[in-house]
Amino acid sequence: MTGTSTADGTVTGQQASLELIGLRRRFGPVLALDGLTFSVPPGEVFGFLGPNGAGKTTAMRAIFGVVALDAGEVRWRGQPAGEHARRHFGYMPEERGLYPGMPIGDQLEYLGRLHGMTVAAARAAAGELIKRLGLQGRETAKLEALSHGNQRRVQLAAALIHEPDLLVLDEPFAGLDPGGVDDMTEILAEQAQSGATVVFSSHQLDLVEDLCQAVAIIHRGRVVAQGPVAALERGGRSRLAVRVTQDPAGAWARRLEVGLATVETVQDGTVMLALAPGADSQRVLDAARAAGSVEHFSFATRRLSEVFRDVVGEDM
Amino acid sequence: MNRQWLRLTAIVAQREIRQRGRSRAFAVTTIVLLLVVAAGVTIPAIVARNSKPQRVGVVGGPVAAATGIITEAGRLTGTEVTVVPQPDLAAAQAGLRSGDLAAVLVSGQEVVVKQVAVDNGSGGGLPSAIADVAGLARLLGQLPPGAATSGVALPLRGLSPPSASLSRRLTGLFTVVLVWILISAYGSQIAMGVGEEKANRIVEVILASVRPIQLLVGKVTGIGVLALAQAALMVAVFLGLGAAVGSSLVHGAAPGIVICGAVFLVLGYAFYCTAYAAAGSMVSRQSDVGSVILPVQIPLIIAYALSYTVIYANGANVFYRVLGFLPPTAPVAMPVLYAAGDVPAWQAAVSAVLVAAGTVWMARTAATIYGRSILRTGSRVRLRQVLGRTPAA
Repeated sequence: MTGTSTADGTVTGQQASLELIGLRRRFGPVLALDGLTFSVPPGEVFGFLGPNGAGKTTAMRAIFGVVALDAGEVRWRGQPAGEHARRHFGYMPEERGLYPGMPIGDQLEYLGRLHGMTVAAARAAAGELIKRLGLQGRETAKLEALSHGNQRRVQLAAALIHEPDLLVLDEPFAGLDPGGVDDMTEILAEQAQSGATVVFSSHQLDLVEDLCQAVAIIHRGRVVAQGPVAALERGGRSRLAVRVTQDPAGAWARRLEVGLATVETVQDGTVMLALAPGADSQRVLDAARAAGSVEHFSFATRRLSEVFRDVVGEDM
Repeated sequence: MNRQWLRLTAIVAQREIRQRGRSRAFAVTTIVLLLVVAAGVTIPAIVARNSKPQRVGVVGGPVAAATGIITEAGRLTGTEVTVVPQPDLAAAQAGLRSGDLAAVLVSGQEVVVKQVAVDNGSGGGLPSAIADVAGLARLLGQLPPGAATSGVALPLRGLSPPSASLSRRLTGLFTVVLVWILISAYGSQIAMGVGEEKANRIVEVILASVRPIQLLVGKVTGIGVLALAQAALMVAVFLGLGAAVGSSLVHGAAPGIVICGAVFLVLGYAFYCTAYAAAGSMVSRQSDVGSVILPVQIPLIIAYALSYTVIYANGANVFYRVLGFLPPTAPVAMPVLYAAGDVPAWQAAVSAVLVAAGTVWMARTAATIYGRSILRTGSRVRLRQVLGRTPAA
C-alpha cells in the first residue's frame, strides 16, 4: 500500500492507524467475515455501520484477538497488532462486560492493572473517570445496583481507564436516551481530539451520521461502502428536491422529457427527482417554473441508510 | 513464563481473593463450618466426661484380692471402676443407700447392691460381673493374690491384625467430609465464576490484555488459596479445641492421617479445579452451570458415598481399594483407606503420585477446553466440538 488517499476517501498505508485486511471467519454455515477490509485514519471518530448480523461484532473481536481468524490480518500503525499493541486498546462490548456484583471502583482499578498500570495509577484514574462521568460517591456501589444508563457509563470508563490509543465501542448508543447520546458523543469526540483513534459500531445508520468523520458500511461480512460521510452522502446519482406551489401533486414532473430525470417520490408537495447522469439540473428548474412558482429547489443529500439501500439494493 | 506473565496472573488471583474473601457468603460459610467442627469435637467429649467411674465398696477380706476381682469385672463390662475400702458393713450400706456406691463386695462372699434388678443373674451389669468373678475366685479356692489383676479371661486372638480404632476411623471420616465439602464447594464456585465471566462477556474485555491460561490459573489459584485457608482454620480448630477438651477424635488424629488428608486435599483440589473451570467455560448462561458440573462431581460423589462402607466395616472391599488409586476418586477414597488402616503409607504415596500425574493430564485437557470454549457464545459448547484434533470453528 502506498501512503495516499484514494479517490473514494479511504486512507491507506502509513496514514492509517488501524487496518483490517481481508478478514475471513466462518462459524459453521455462517460466513461472518468475508474478506473484510477497511482502514481507519488516526485521531478520527470512525463509524462501523451495518445491519444486525453484518459481522460488526466479529470484526471488533478480531481487533482484540479474541476471535480466531480463518484468514486476514489486523494491523496497528503499520505492524501486525500483537499482544503489546492490544494492551493499549480499549474495548466496550455491546452488553455488560463487567462483574455485576463487584464495586465499580474496584472493577475499574482491576482493569487498569490488567492493562499494566500500577495500583496507585489505576486507582487515581478510576477516581478521575468516576468523577468525570458523574458517578462520584458511587465508587463502592456494585455495578448491578446502578441504573442502565450509569452502567453504560461505567462500561465506558472501563474502556477508557488506561487512556487507550485505540478505542473500540460496540453499539455504544444502543439504548441510550438523548442526553446519554450527547454525553457519549462528547466523550468520543474528546478522545479523538486528544489523539486516540475511535471506532464504534452501530446499526442505526442515520442516528450516527453526524457523529463521525468517516464510515465503513458493511453487509454480510464485507464492506459495501466507505469513506468520509460527506462524500458518501453526495455520492451516487444526484437528486433534486423541488416544490411548486400550484402543483403539490407534482404533475409537472411527470411531464419531464425522458432521459432528464425520473420521479422517485412525492411527499407533502415536494417532488424527489433522480437526475439522469450528465443531465442539466437547470432544465428541470425551467420545467418547474413553467408549472408555477418554485418554492424550493435543492440538491438532496442521501442519508446513510439510503447509501446502504443504493449499494445493497435492499432496506436495512 | 516471564515476570509479566506472573504479574497478570497474580492480579487475577488477587481479585478472586479480595472479592470472595470479603463477601458475606464466605464469612457465613466459614463461621458455620467452624461451628460444626467445634460441635463435632466438643459434644462427644463432654458426653464422655459425664460418665463417671463406678465406685465399688469393699468390706472385709484382703483388699488386694478384692481390688483384682472388681477391676477384672470392670474390664469385662467395659466400666471404669474405683475401689473404695469401707470400715464396716453399716458404712457400706449407708454408701449404697446414698448412691455413693454402686455395689459392695463383702468378705469375698457376697455382693450387695441397693436393689436387685428383676432380670438378675442372666443380665450383665457391673454387680453381677463382680459376683461372677468373685464366685470363680472362691470356687478355685485360693487364687494367688493379684492373680485376677492380670485377668482371669482366656486370651482372645484374631486371625487378622487388629483394625484401626473407631476414633481413628472417625478422624478419617472428618478428613473425607472436609475434602469432599471443600472440593465440591470451591469447584462449584470456580465453575460459577467462569460462567459469570463468560455469560457477562467479561472475558471479551479481559482477554484483550490477558491470555485465557492466565485467567484460568489466576482464578483457580485465588480460589484455592481461600479454600486452603478455610481448611487450615478448620483443622486448627479441630486439633486445638480437641486437645483442650481431650477429645478421643483428636487422639485418633495421628499425624499420618492429618498429613495424608492435607496432601489429598491439595491434590484433589488441583485435579478438580481445572475440570470445574472447563465445565464452566462451556455454558452460555450462568444458570446452566449446575448441569455441566454434575458429570465432574460424579466420581467424588461415588467415592464419598462409599466411604461410609469403609469407615463402619472391618476392612475395605477390593472395589473401594481400586477407587483409592484412580485419580478422580483417590482424593476422597485414599484418606479413608489410610485412616481405617486398610492401606500402608507407601500405597497412599503411590496413589498421590498417580493423582499428581492425573492432575497434569487434567490441567492440559481442561485448559484446551477452556481456551476453545470461553469465547464461544451462543448455545452450550459440546465436548466433541472442542476436543477434536481439528476443532470445529
